[in-house]
Amino acid sequence: MRYPIAGALALALCIPAAPALAHHSMAMFDQTKTVTLSGTVKEFQWTNPHCYIQLMVKDASGKDVEWSLEMGAPMYLYAKGWRPSVLKAGMPIKVTINPLRNGDPGGVVLTATTADGKQIGRNLSRAVS
Amino acid sequence: MRTLPLLATVAVLAFAAIPAGAQRAAKIPARLPDWSGLWVPEGNDTAISGLPEAATEARAEGKTPPPGGFNRPLFGFGAPWNEEGKRRQAARQGETANCRAQGWGFPMLMNADAPIQFFVTRDKVMILNAYRDVTDVRMAAKHPSEDDLWPTVWGDSIGRWEGDTLVIDTIAVKNPHDYFHGAPPLSDKAHYVQRIRMDKPHHLVDDITIEDPTTLTGPWKAHLAFMPAEGFERMVYDNYDNDRTECGTDSGIAPPKDEQKSSG
Repeated sequence: MRYPIAGALALALCIPAAPALAHHSMAMFDQTKTVTLSGTVKEFQWTNPHCYIQLMVKDASGKDVEWSLEMGAPMYLYAKGWRPSVLKAGMPIKVTINPLRNGDPGGVVLTATTADGKQIGRNLSRAVS
Repeated sequence: MRTLPLLATVAVLAFAAIPAGAQRAAKIPARLPDWSGLWVPEGNDTAISGLPEAATEARAEGKTPPPGGFNRPLFGFGAPWNEEGKRRQAARQGETANCRAQGWGFPMLMNADAPIQFFVTRDKVMILNAYRDVTDVRMAAKHPSEDDLWPTVWGDSIGRWEGDTLVIDTIAVKNPHDYFHGAPPLSDKAHYVQRIRMDKPHHLVDDITIEDPTTLTGPWKAHLAFMPAEGFERMVYDNYDNDRTECGTDSGIAPPKDEQKSSG
């Protein structure tokens, strides 16, 4: 881990929130940071125990970087109007995420919209811009 | 007329030959409750993040999430743990980082943020969730004998009706925590009694009492409630084939599954 003390502290702070977990702890995601990514869907994995969006995002130098973006289980997405076919390879989208603490290109998806800003499914009870 | 005594004898013998559990069927109400449809536990609305809706909304706006998370009384933070129970709870707290789970098991299937459904028949009630966890309730008077018990992560359940209340008695549950890391670390000697009823239209309640001489100082009582699941047109069951978590780590998620295959 790159920041062992900060990481341990963050993990310790997350323990009281453990009841929020479902399949696994969410301590690996930095809930203090919200990052917005715009990219192109490489693959949408409609899978248990988590769905994943593999998103190709250009970094500052213009190089394509593949992000692994975790979501809830398919049943939760289904209840919010998502379907296995809702994202297709090549589709441009924009997501807000809590990134991985370890700096790897990954995170947990909080909201997702089409490139022109339309909410995909019902991310939340009310849309968050 | 000679046939009457014969028929009566046959009837008596036939009744006596019915297993004790099946005789219980006489107490089944003439009209069974209608609990059809899909139900979700109250207080567990889940966003696409897999996190509570309120927490996700706050995070998306860069705000501090509200305290508390899902409504999970069966995690056992308020249970009357004895010293062994406290030791197990403390150990559980240290193990939760990024652990895998194959489902919820019992009793957590009643407290998961997954929809459940009830199949109510005269001789059996089945409670089934989207993770394929099942409580198979026989309308029987007794559990199997000690020699015939088969402990599983879902246990052995028998039931009876008290009016419109379904009383489910469950034993022989393997330590739930061994199956789902968030479950209460009860022993396989735990005894669970659920009383499920519809207290008002479109609202089910489940009062559950757990006794476990190994881990609890006394009865642990919890109250659960269920409301109709919204957004589910049908129940879909799916297997687990994309678990990227690594128990014992807290740092990340494994590579995409296609990369795992190519590296393996």
